[in-house]
Amino acid sequence: MTEVDPALLSLLVCPMSKLPLRYDRDAQELVNDALGIAYPIRDGVPIMLAEEARRFSPEDHGR
Amino acid sequence: MSSRPVLFDRPLLRRRRDRAVRGVAPAREPDFLLREAAERLLDRLSDIRRAFPLALDLGAHTGQLARLRAGRGGIDTLVSVEPSAAMAALAPAPAVVADEDSLPFADAVADAVLSCMSLHWIDDLPGLLAEAFRVLKPGGLFLAMLPGEETLHELRDSLARAELAVDGGVSPRVIPMLTVQDAGSLLQRAGFAEPVVDRERIAIDYADPLRLLADLRAMGETNALAERRKAPLSRAVLLAALAAYRENHPAADGRVAATVDLLTLTAWKPE
Repeated sequence: MTEVDPALLSLLVCPMSKLPLRYDRDAQELVNDALGIAYPIRDGVPIMLAEEARRFSPEDHGR
Repeated sequence: MSSRPVLFDRPLLRRRRDRAVRGVAPAREPDFLLREAAERLLDRLSDIRRAFPLALDLGAHTGQLARLRAGRGGIDTLVSVEPSAAMAALAPAPAVVADEDSLPFADAVADAVLSCMSLHWIDDLPGLLAEAFRVLKPGGLFLAMLPGEETLHELRDSLARAELAVDGGVSPRVIPMLTVQDAGSLLQRAGFAEPVVDRERIAIDYADPLRLLADLRAMGETNALAERRKAPLSRAVLLAALAAYRENHPAADGRVAATVDLLTLTAWKPE
């Protein structure tokens, strides 16, 4: 598995809300806990598209 | 959601680009135009003689700019931002999949926002410029190249002639292109300082218009207009368009002419 560049992670925010994201290393996701949106990371490339994101209810804390 | 009319079918553009990189290896590289524009953009960047530690490349395709830069342009880190996951996977790291007008970057992080031959597919160009402005640091550079003005006018004309002759009507087959004047006023309205827009005309000749169509397909550049005719080009229209192209737009030695107007947009975020 290719690791995502940590310097890149420090720049990224949610493209819709511009809120900061939490990096879930095990799930390989960038998570917006406030809005309940998780963006997948595939082979070290974050996929920051609304239609590729996983939605969850914010109370579940991303899981 | 806004009720602004949608010009481009973005998911289709993504599929076109995904498909373009899965295509069989062509006899020569069809992305010569992307690489040519990337070289010119890097030359412009080098002329500015400033350091741009962090730069973003919006609509990076397969990372042509990242691969060609070879230490030029004063960039330490170039992040490739590309809407097609298949293209982004081929770009050198760091790469991000994102739409160019909905950037996943925090405010004021970038020293330069670059774009090479992608902004002609943006529906909301004022929105994109606002996003570029937002992610730039004060004093940061916006530098973009895109096809504009009379680009592919020979193809547009040939398809219109053919459709009129065969179907009795014309549908949009080639996207509308930005003019120098419009680009300048858009940059100004977005809040940029010292906006400069210039045009370079690149004359390309092809042995046959079919080769031009093959190159466009290989770059993922075929029609993705939302209002395009859903039916593919009929064989009769295609043949008539090819004949009209050969007849009306000849180049030397029995070849055909194709025009690309390369617009370069340069502007700065005020300090």
